[in-house]
Amino acid sequence: MKQCLTTRWTIIQRVFFLLIIAAAGPAGAQIKGNPERGADKAKTCIACHGQTGRGPMSGVPALSGQQFEFITLQLILIREGLREIPDMSGMLKELKDQDLADIGAFFSAMEPFSPRGTRNDRRFAAGAKLSEIMGCGSCHMKGYVGQRQVPRIINQREEYLAKTLIAYRDNKRSGVDTSMNAVMYKTTDEDIYALAHYLAHQN
Amino acid sequence: MSKLLSQLIARSLMPALVAGAFALPVPIALAQQANATPPTAAEIERRKSMGGYMPERMQNPNLTSNPPRLTVTPLEDIPVNKIQVPAGFKVEVWAHGIPGARMMTRAANGAVFVGTRTIGRVYAVYEKDGKRVSKIVAQKLNQPNGVLMHNGSLYIAAINRVFRYDNIEANLENIPEPVDMTKDFNLPPDVHHNWKFLAYGPDKKMYFQVGAPCNVCEINPGVHGQIRRYNMDGTGMEIVARGVRNSVGFDFHPQTKELWFTDNGRDWAGETGFDDELNRVPADKVGGHFGFPYCHANGQPDPDIKVPNPCANVILPVTVLGAHTAALGMRFYTGKMYPPEYQNAILLARHGSWNKTERSGYDILRVNATPDGKDAKITPFMTGFMDKSSNTYWGRPTDVMQLPDGSMLISDEQQGAIYRVSYGK
Repeated sequence: MKQCLTTRWTIIQRVFFLLIIAAAGPAGAQIKGNPERGADKAKTCIACHGQTGRGPMSGVPALSGQQFEFITLQLILIREGLREIPDMSGMLKELKDQDLADIGAFFSAMEPFSPRGTRNDRRFAAGAKLSEIMGCGSCHMKGYVGQRQVPRIINQREEYLAKTLIAYRDNKRSGVDTSMNAVMYKTTDEDIYALAHYLAHQN
Repeated sequence: MSKLLSQLIARSLMPALVAGAFALPVPIALAQQANATPPTAAEIERRKSMGGYMPERMQNPNLTSNPPRLTVTPLEDIPVNKIQVPAGFKVEVWAHGIPGARMMTRAANGAVFVGTRTIGRVYAVYEKDGKRVSKIVAQKLNQPNGVLMHNGSLYIAAINRVFRYDNIEANLENIPEPVDMTKDFNLPPDVHHNWKFLAYGPDKKMYFQVGAPCNVCEINPGVHGQIRRYNMDGTGMEIVARGVRNSVGFDFHPQTKELWFTDNGRDWAGETGFDDELNRVPADKVGGHFGFPYCHANGQPDPDIKVPNPCANVILPVTVLGAHTAALGMRFYTGKMYPPEYQNAILLARHGSWNKTERSGYDILRVNATPDGKDAKITPFMTGFMDKSSNTYWGRPTDVMQLPDGSMLISDEQQGAIYRVSYGK
């Protein structure tokens, strides 16, 4: 009996150890950002994204507390014209990779964005169920806080989430890879609105 | 400790272990929602016909795709001395400073054109005033992975867009405007698994894939999960292989002229589910079915999309290449530089895994087999891009290409560099 238990606990230990080292990824030089330098370069950004990065304008995402690597990579995509945002075109043209990393560090250091609006229980429950079937937490992590190039989506602006998921489904936008296009393939508008509502109204 | 407790632990852990995945006993998403009612069987079935379906056995917050590096890696930061090759072979950095470097094609006078994905560029690497330089010849494209030189023209495929740059090698300092052939090819616009690998066939046709727009789902076999060929002007489309989830590398056997291709197996089916494949299209089975989504690897049925006799009439692989290793670019070696055992062998790149806890791939393999695809033998060719003990990687080999002198070029998307592997003095 004692022998059996030891084996089982060893398995549990091994599982958790492997899960920890599974988080290890690429090694070697990765660009780092400086939030103080970023504050200086982000003066144009806060005009739309807000002084505290909360995203006060409809259709403009909150950035405060967003994953550093996500913001930096997205800024590169926007600068290269691979993500077309008419209101931002030309704004990043003169910025070097290090500048974009500094802006990323500036926003990711802010207090994370909080939910707004009231929760509709039926929609929330529908979104919760979908999130489970679709496995959102697998990449976006527990609490939907994101990791590395996977964005924090918890409590993001609801209309922005919906607009983004629709863009992924309709192949109008890709991330740094096409994971979201694959996940959203054939998803209905109704499902998207439920997901957006659920994610935007977490406590 | 009681017998009951040990049985409880056994019952919760054994399914996870049997599934071959180091999955947590409780799906993470369930833990997040105190009040959610579990999905019904009907809701799950409905979801399976779409793209995003995560089986309950596979909720794992530590598996996510690898972030790309979109910035330049300085030469001194490329750990080329960590690369290992067989005795007698030598590795050098041939080009660097080209972030996202992936698929390669070569022009008559030596210029090499390099496709990318996320960063949206196509580079030229060429000799100028006795030095090797690189420049961007196209940018702002949507995953321009497919590049092909033919008759002095560079073809670029970016998802469903196709461009032809005529007489490009003579005009590298002043790149001409391309001919837009997008309407001629009229390709599906889906983004996932739709970045192209281009090859020129012995039948003078252009070959490329249209992958499945999801991880695993029902697809229209007339549209998705294929390798196709066209006349060079976009006419005469023919499907040469079906049930191909995502092939990003193929070549033609030097003797039989048959098409051989790598294929990436599905994700979210556990640590060993399911192998990437090396396949061959027999001359009398052009258009045949290679399994997706119902049948994988050496005849294993899909656990989520179930049909009767899932592997009936499926052409099975020449060999399997490990689960989640991301087998991509491949070529048959036909040069005179390498030892005899390399003649007509395949060299293929494994880009490296993300959908398993213990990383694997991140190397170049040699595969020897008979011309009709029997007796396959795999030998590692280039390793050292990952470190097993820390479970980290620094390089991601993506494509292989032979130079006229018989040496091989290997692209590394992570380092934004190309290595040259030579043999002998």
